[in-house]
Amino acid sequence: MTETIIGHRTTRVDGELKLTGKADYTSDHNLPNQAYGYPVPSTIACGKLLELDIDEARQAPGVIEIVHRGNFPQLQPSDNNPACGTAARLYRSPSTMAEQNKVGEVRLPFEDDGIHYEGQYIALVVADTFEHARAAARLVKARYEVHEAVPGLFSTDDEGEEAGDEAVSRGDPAGAYETAPVKLDQTYTIAMETHMAMEMHASIATWEDDRLTIYESTQGVVFQRNALAQIFGIPPEKVTVIAHYIGSGFGSKLFMWPHAVMTAVASRMVGRPVKTVLSRQQNFCNAGNRPASRQHVRMAADRDGKLLSIRHDSQNETSFIDSYTESIGSGTPRAYACDNVSVSQRRVQVNHGTPTSMRAPGEVSGSVALEIAMDELAIELGMDPLELRRKNFAERDPTADLPWSGNHLRECWDDASRRFGWEKRNPEIGSMRDGHEIIGWGMADATWEAMRSHCKARVELRADGKVQVACGTQDIGTGTYTIVAQTAAELTGVPLSRIEVKLGDSMLPAGPLSGGSMATATVLPAVAGATRDVIEQLKQIAIADGAPFAGKEADSLEFKNGELSDGSRSVSFVDILNAVPRGMVEGEASAAPGDEQDKFSFRSFGAHFVEIRWDPGISRLRVSRVVSTIDIGRAINPLTAKNQVEGAIVMGMGMGMFEETEYDPAGNIYNNNYADYVVPVHADIPDIEVELLDNPDYNFNEFGARGVGEIGITGMAAAISNAVYHATGKRIRDMPIKIADLID
Amino acid sequence: MADTPTTHEQRTGFNEAETTVAKRTGPAGRADAAATTQQITLTINGEKHTLEVEPNVVLLDALRERLDLTGSKKGCDHGQCGACTVLINGHSANSCLTLAVMHEGSEITTVEGLAKDGQLHPVQEEFLEHDAYQCGYCTSGQMMAAVSMLNDKRIGTDDASVKEAMSGNICRCGAYKNILSAVQSAREKV
Repeated sequence: MTETIIGHRTTRVDGELKLTGKADYTSDHNLPNQAYGYPVPSTIACGKLLELDIDEARQAPGVIEIVHRGNFPQLQPSDNNPACGTAARLYRSPSTMAEQNKVGEVRLPFEDDGIHYEGQYIALVVADTFEHARAAARLVKARYEVHEAVPGLFSTDDEGEEAGDEAVSRGDPAGAYETAPVKLDQTYTIAMETHMAMEMHASIATWEDDRLTIYESTQGVVFQRNALAQIFGIPPEKVTVIAHYIGSGFGSKLFMWPHAVMTAVASRMVGRPVKTVLSRQQNFCNAGNRPASRQHVRMAADRDGKLLSIRHDSQNETSFIDSYTESIGSGTPRAYACDNVSVSQRRVQVNHGTPTSMRAPGEVSGSVALEIAMDELAIELGMDPLELRRKNFAERDPTADLPWSGNHLRECWDDASRRFGWEKRNPEIGSMRDGHEIIGWGMADATWEAMRSHCKARVELRADGKVQVACGTQDIGTGTYTIVAQTAAELTGVPLSRIEVKLGDSMLPAGPLSGGSMATATVLPAVAGATRDVIEQLKQIAIADGAPFAGKEADSLEFKNGELSDGSRSVSFVDILNAVPRGMVEGEASAAPGDEQDKFSFRSFGAHFVEIRWDPGISRLRVSRVVSTIDIGRAINPLTAKNQVEGAIVMGMGMGMFEETEYDPAGNIYNNNYADYVVPVHADIPDIEVELLDNPDYNFNEFGARGVGEIGITGMAAAISNAVYHATGKRIRDMPIKIADLID
Repeated sequence: MADTPTTHEQRTGFNEAETTVAKRTGPAGRADAAATTQQITLTINGEKHTLEVEPNVVLLDALRERLDLTGSKKGCDHGQCGACTVLINGHSANSCLTLAVMHEGSEITTVEGLAKDGQLHPVQEEFLEHDAYQCGYCTSGQMMAAVSMLNDKRIGTDDASVKEAMSGNICRCGAYKNILSAVQSAREKV
């Protein structure tokens, strides 16, 4: 087998579809006789729905049905609710990771009359056109009992509930802190962020008898299939979830949200397909967020900079209807060599929709506090911030007490600092200038856990010369289609142009969520296994009586460049299949992590070096340069892998400088759109120079890949804040950094 | 959650931003205006399409929901993200901010009309080569804006001018660096 494809820059196999408008995203589907759903959201954040008046809306042009609490199937059917016979009963999803049926919001739509957050659905109008549904939704009137809302973490004294399973402790952090010569005790906050995937959440549901098919913009077709089966009380085989192309998700589309359930019920009620596309405004309320957080860091070192104690105590927002834990300190115990460490996490209930995973959930928030704190400690010690980190490099995983499978953080520091020119940094605050602008240089570490899950895949060799690979995972823009094709091409020797990849359909062999940077390490071993299996199957066919290699031993045959060979003669799989004759042969495989987790600790590491420019005359702050070196094991496709890291750096700039979902005191979001919720745009983008080290991690999987989606965002906001301090002397501990924080 | 039972009447399920759009749609939400449809002929990618629409049908929705031209995407419906960018008489425009009935006689180009005779447009070729996308959802808008900008002699050819001109097209995946290099490479070919 020739090694020419894996690890090499490969343009996307689905590129032409995306570039010509032919890639089918959820809302691009228009099913025959399709109706349109338009949700009616609550305008209050906390209270009770007293009355819903749908009479005028019901009379509006084109309206087919209005779905609401009065006619929606309930958890507990009763005679008092004639619309809800036992046949139409719904169940809550158990919502577990283990059973692969986790949902974003456990409460079913319209389950009770409580209003728990602004934008909670109070009805769904179904009409013949999008315009009619939207117009009628305006005519729905509601009367509420309004309760005082908790608009956010920073407006309540509630300390929250301890998330016990997050607590980590080693040594005596309090004792070590007391006696240490150099100390830091600071609090850091991060505003709530919204994922803002370009493609809005959408569902198109259709029933054929008791079979449900739903097109959904999801990062997990299998999870959603399982959750819907639970909710409707039907076998999973009767539910199909399709997501061929996803306009990204960043975590917001990992777990199903209530609009999908509402749309599926509506379709069953009206007996035709229903398409619901959430408005951008509704995407802010009902589809997750990165919760606001507060972190208290106490850190101590000796005068040489050796860390003696780290305590990292965090709080995150959760909703009143779900219990969401942001594992903010989860990276802290592994970040540096330190004998005395403790981490804790508390959840505080607020009147927001339930938070969910957002790119590098937990660790990216933790990295803001920890990596700014390291910079502060370096200043306190009069030490270079990179030197302080070098001094506390963890030679092995201090928490698991295991060797790292591959920790090339020192190489990352060396490479990135050299390319950035860090040795030219004058540590004096505000000392580096260029005309009107004060230049600040800061750095921070990046890190993310390497995870792997179980996966199935199927590979078919076809008589028409095509190789088809199928897996029920998704490509959310990360390039999964391409790396799956590369893997099959590598192992079969068949060119990429003859390889078809099928993803994004729950009827395919069960694949993983596209999240947590684990898809590559999870999917490729299964694809490789299925490819080897199909080659074995082909050999068996080829040695049968009358077949091209009749009488040969299967083991004596070799498969190369799409051909079987016995050493003297080669026959293509096409000719073998046509000779037998058979239309195709298929192979399947499952792959799962083994016992390697007991032997090694798997993490990726990297370093960001950031230059900012502050022009005090016109109060302009901008990031002007980012140099990052990241070790992700092996990049299967360096072209798409680097793109992901660059994109994560951009999102990290958003976290550090722009992004904040803002609530008024009544708990209503007042920047719920793409203009007022500020994200980086073309004009904000600095020179970004990313290098990926190439150190394959073969302990983790045969391809040596650890995944790449999350790591680039970790540490970015801290590196920016550290650079801002270097330029201005202002230590900003609250993200995002605001211009107002910097004006004297 | 202190109980302070005040009551609140909801006239509409919409926030302010949406109300603005809804107001602009005029009387279509009223039952008595149900029949006010209009026949229009749109010229899209050189082909004429005749359709019967109410006056509040937005061009983007006409393309996507009536004509199955779904390459133009909806990312905000407010003219804020640029995913719906098309060319109207050669100039880029947010198709979510204009009504279908206003475009009788306009020459509209969507992403479906960029490639000619199976040959990708230079901008498409360079987007492929430079990996100027990830999820691909903003891509048609980015490319249409780029085509318009590359033909606009008023816009400078340096990176800063391109970035400024393209800033109405958001890429949440953050593939901006590659989009810039793709656009600049395509410049020599258009």
